[in-house]
Amino acid sequence: MLALTWRPQLAPIDPPARSSFDAALIRRGEQLAGVGNCAACHTTRDGGPYAGGVALATPFGTVHGTNLTPDPDTGIGRWSEAAFRRAMRDGVARSGSRLYPVFPFDHYARASDDDLQALYAFLMTREPVRAEAPANRLMFPLGFRPLLAGWSLLYLDRAPPPHDTRMSAEWNRGAYLTASLGHCSSCHSPRTALGGEDRRRRFDGGEAEGWYVPALNAKSPSPLPWSVEQLTDYLSSGIARDHAIAGGPMQGVVAGLARAAPADVRAIAVYIGSVMGDPTPQRDERAKASVARAERGPLVANASTVTSGDRSPLGLGAAVYAGACASCHDLGRRLSSGGALQLPLAVAVHDPDPRSLIRIVLRGIEPLDGEPGRLMPAFGAQLTDEQVTALLTFLRQTAAGAPPWPDLAAAVRSAREDESR
Amino acid sequence: MITLNINGRAAAVDADPTTPLLYVLRDDLKLNGAKFGCGLGQCGACTVMVGGQAVMSCLMPIGLVEQRAVKTVEGLGTPTAPGPLQQAFIDEQAAQCGYCIAGMIMRAQALLERNPHPSDAEIRRHMAPNLCRCGTHLRILRAVRRAADRSGVAIAAESRTSAP
Amino acid sequence: MKRIASSRLDRRRFLASGAALVVSFRLADGAAARNGAAQSKKAQPKPAPALPGSLKTEPMLDGWIRIDADGRVTVFTGKAELGQGIKTALIQVAAEELVVDPARITLVTADTARTANEGYTAGSHSMQDSGTAIRHAAAQVRAILLGRAAERLAVAPERLTVKDGVVGADGGRSVAYGELVAEANWHLAAAPQSPLREQATHTVIGQPMRRIDIPAKVAGGVAYVQDLRLDRMVHGRIVRPPSPAASLASLDPKAVEQQAGVLKVVRDGRFVGVVAEREHQAVRALRALGLAARWDEQPTLPLAQNLYKSVRETPAEDSVILDRGVPAPSDAAALSATYQRPYQAHASIGPSCAIAQLLDGRYTVWTHSQGVYPLRSALAELLGVAKDAVRCIHVEGSGCYGHNGADDVAADAVLLARAMPGRPVRVQWMREDEHGWEPFGPPMIAEAKATLDAAGMIRDWHYEVWSNTHSTRPGAAGDLLAATHLARPFKPTPPKPLPQPEGGGDRNAIPLYALPNAHVVHHFLRKMPLRVSALRSLGAYLNVFAIESFMDELARSANLDPVAFRLRHLNDARARDVIKTAADRFGWPTFQRRPGRGRGFAFARYKNLGAYAAIAMEVEVQRDSGRVRVVRAVAATDSGEVVNPDGIRNQIEGGIVQSSSWTLSEEVTFDASRVTSRDWGGYPILRFPDVPEQVDVHIVDRPGQPFLGTGEAAQGPAAAAIANALADATGVRLRELPFTRDRVRAAIGPA
Repeated sequence: MLALTWRPQLAPIDPPARSSFDAALIRRGEQLAGVGNCAACHTTRDGGPYAGGVALATPFGTVHGTNLTPDPDTGIGRWSEAAFRRAMRDGVARSGSRLYPVFPFDHYARASDDDLQALYAFLMTREPVRAEAPANRLMFPLGFRPLLAGWSLLYLDRAPPPHDTRMSAEWNRGAYLTASLGHCSSCHSPRTALGGEDRRRRFDGGEAEGWYVPALNAKSPSPLPWSVEQLTDYLSSGIARDHAIAGGPMQGVVAGLARAAPADVRAIAVYIGSVMGDPTPQRDERAKASVARAERGPLVANASTVTSGDRSPLGLGAAVYAGACASCHDLGRRLSSGGALQLPLAVAVHDPDPRSLIRIVLRGIEPLDGEPGRLMPAFGAQLTDEQVTALLTFLRQTAAGAPPWPDLAAAVRSAREDESR
Repeated sequence: MITLNINGRAAAVDADPTTPLLYVLRDDLKLNGAKFGCGLGQCGACTVMVGGQAVMSCLMPIGLVEQRAVKTVEGLGTPTAPGPLQQAFIDEQAAQCGYCIAGMIMRAQALLERNPHPSDAEIRRHMAPNLCRCGTHLRILRAVRRAADRSGVAIAAESRTSAP
Repeated sequence: MKRIASSRLDRRRFLASGAALVVSFRLADGAAARNGAAQSKKAQPKPAPALPGSLKTEPMLDGWIRIDADGRVTVFTGKAELGQGIKTALIQVAAEELVVDPARITLVTADTARTANEGYTAGSHSMQDSGTAIRHAAAQVRAILLGRAAERLAVAPERLTVKDGVVGADGGRSVAYGELVAEANWHLAAAPQSPLREQATHTVIGQPMRRIDIPAKVAGGVAYVQDLRLDRMVHGRIVRPPSPAASLASLDPKAVEQQAGVLKVVRDGRFVGVVAEREHQAVRALRALGLAARWDEQPTLPLAQNLYKSVRETPAEDSVILDRGVPAPSDAAALSATYQRPYQAHASIGPSCAIAQLLDGRYTVWTHSQGVYPLRSALAELLGVAKDAVRCIHVEGSGCYGHNGADDVAADAVLLARAMPGRPVRVQWMREDEHGWEPFGPPMIAEAKATLDAAGMIRDWHYEVWSNTHSTRPGAAGDLLAATHLARPFKPTPPKPLPQPEGGGDRNAIPLYALPNAHVVHHFLRKMPLRVSALRSLGAYLNVFAIESFMDELARSANLDPVAFRLRHLNDARARDVIKTAADRFGWPTFQRRPGRGRGFAFARYKNLGAYAAIAMEVEVQRDSGRVRVVRAVAATDSGEVVNPDGIRNQIEGGIVQSSSWTLSEEVTFDASRVTSRDWGGYPILRFPDVPEQVDVHIVDRPGQPFLGTGEAAQGPAAAAIANALADATGVRLRELPFTRDRVRAAIGPA
């Protein structure tokens, strides 16, 4: 068994000089790093870019993103391009030890040699930062890395990148990027008990960092269809009019895609658009109903009739909405910079799982530091758990017209606990 | 009629329950500290404390406050008898136009009640939701630092003994 | 004794009381004198020979100082507290010259019924104009009181001492000012000379006296116009069009008129307002009215990506504002560069607010306008009433940083007050109103070109700047927003350039440096797709940014130290002093560059007439994100004789932080018809995490020199210091403001 699991150390090299890399290649690598969203797991909020240290919570414990800067001692300064390729394709570090598959090498494995070469050029020309990632804390015996060899056997799919000659070059490019560096299905698919991606339910929806990640296929909860333009807008800016505003981990994805080549972003949108599938009569019905609900106007018809005496979830929820949300989401919608989402059309209220909506309400949505964008304030301090639960009950019924979420109160409590940690 | 707990006292208010706390504080209760800056929860000029947390009162309908204690800057002291945090702002002359200051003070109060020994970085991050347009930030940070150093422990202790 | 026109007698009613001295406020004889004047114009009744400061326009001593029988002192200023600490500074000046404890003094600020007309509180003129007038008036009043005391105590005036309003003679005899007022009379015109106190005897001027307004502001006292509550007051809101050229296609107000608490919906053309009993009711009605209105919009704005192209293509009126020497024929070795700045906003933290009441045919307006007299003229014209029928009282608002929505909301308030006679109507602009409708700082382009001689001295200098007007302040009704939306609209005053030496778009376009051959042109652009006006420091922000960036570029091209390069072109001793002080205190010669960091320097004398400021900065650039951060700034400033050093420090610190925000993040966004940056999400400003770690201000005090206002001295130099430090850190020169992350990243590149 050891013979199967053991991988040799690859010889360290002297950190290559910046000038040895072609500027155009570096630029390409920057764009691809945007698609791969390396920064999300490898750059802390206050830390140096790619210097690692991000704590990633998994069902098996906490793993920390490593230092990808070309620091010779704490980063990848002594990694040859071959070592880098092996890490990306096989999930094996230069030293020979296995990398935890929270690092999505099961996707990166499909990246082309050229793309990996560009990525290598980009990473090796970053500012070297001396930083050790904190120790991982994993459930016993998962700290024993050689076990990961077994995981790789089960889940590492070396199938070549998808290619369909019936589809356009753009679609194929999107399919390739999504399957490889984009690793979209890592979050947008459910996982098995062993933490691998459930390939039979690809794009059925998943979770990331406590957020519910919606399905991107026929099971997409979005009440309205997404055009390629809307998807491209969303991926480039985090905003899709009358659909969604990127929150939580998706904000990091969008930040990364802002650096990607615009043609690549569009290609991803084309591919994902096809994954979402064509309208069906059922979907059309749902879309019509949602639009009708949106056009009816304010969700609470007459705010004056809402009294604080009604403690039923719907009554209380209507009161919360009328008092805390309506001023932006109904009445003031068009007035601030771009306006707040019309909730009957927002994907999050249609999700089968309330976790994302809960987090949006508790934390709000902030544009990235200093950038212009949509700013929704946090309501976690304003509202009690009971009030948040009531609000979501109200929104689920009145805005989404969908069956209530089970165990909503528990989900709110659990999200609140996560926030305070 | 809605009864609110404002600075430790019951205050009966005859206003629609969807009325934001900000307007009730200012117009009904004549408490001028919390200010209208945006009504969108984006600037913090309206910051007060509800249930021990800093809250944007422009987005806090009074019908949802219920029994939670509301604390405003007027509850910390008066112009002639300022509380420790207010005194620190006076000592640092931490104001230019001063419009954002009451909100800043309440935001800082929420921090010190919870954490009497904040680091400079923690203070900076904690204050981030509040905007200052005049550029008084450095004085504000110094005032919070001064209050923490001088009276942080006292502020946190007092908050524990007073009603939640 | 000047004749007081009978129409002024009702004003005296406000003022006279008991044994207080007559503070009849003597106005100019000519009506024209009080009309909305351009920024620094003053009325001239009977020209008093060279009286200092605003005594030129209000020469009567009792227009400035009043003393009651109980010894309380009231000082009147036509200037307004904008948060710059002027109230405190003026009290210090008066206290010093009158020799009374500052605590005795109440300062009455701009009020058309009570104070002098000192035009606008703008252009950093307050200390020069009002401070100087008050200083001299107080000194002369003191002399009069001492004269009375000398008679009372039968002692020669030189043998008297004064302390806190009490005049003493030997033998322990004394008499307080309050006891003298019945006999002392200063209903007189000021003399050109004043017995100012010796600087060595100063106990108040020069002291960091604590601001009198801060205690109320930290404890919830009534401090702002937004805090005023009058009896029977009601609340108004205005439904503004979605874009400047929009017209109102339809509006059915019936449903809104039925809403709880709504008293009236007012409509006149595309001016739509609603009045309600309670504030929240007014806001709800506003939103509902907004939904009920249908507008027709026009695309009248340039495409955002063509902003500067459209600036250049706007027809211009050119004026040569400097033409010195003989520039050499076109020289291949010239260095040239273009600098640009977009629309930027005042973005006051407290949206503008005003209260107006119509009672017995007279309007009273509580306003934070920077110019109560010009506003009064404009409102009177708007309402079609005599100026006398309108009183404007300044009450502090949040920082305005120039011409924001303050005058416009006053117009909104009087129009609604007219519809609700007897009741005070409070109109509060919403965030989107302020962000969408305030007059912005206009987009500007500057082109600089220069040659150096063999010794590294500037030989030829050529500079051109393109800009709209920087002042559309009322004066006239047509300069008020609401007036242009009425069914019979008023027309805005055709914009005119502000003349040199103050200038508008060309403010600080002429460098202070010694340049043997220099040619400076101002291209004045009349056409304004978006409303623009004065934003703190006016054209100086872009011009100093451009000139000081260019000086740096020139220095680098000759491999010369940027500080030394400036010094060798400056003869002005005060300028040299601030430069050396800033460089020295920063540690310029021994600065160690850390990776990702650089140092930058800049200097300017505001308007070449005002305060001097030199700023050295250390700036950090994060290549990956494009984030630029000011790590520390060291400033040296010369504001003439220092009245309140802490006030000066506060203004420079604040100016540096505010300018950092303008320079690193701010630009108004718009599409073909609308302004689209309508809230803080769309127009982000610097937040705490990005504010510098340290800002040090060193003041060079010049006792005996005229006071110089400091509020606008730091903005231009701070912007250039950032640009210069960025160039030092990365080798890359940014010339288009603001330095957003995208622009920085694009300039630096990934390598």
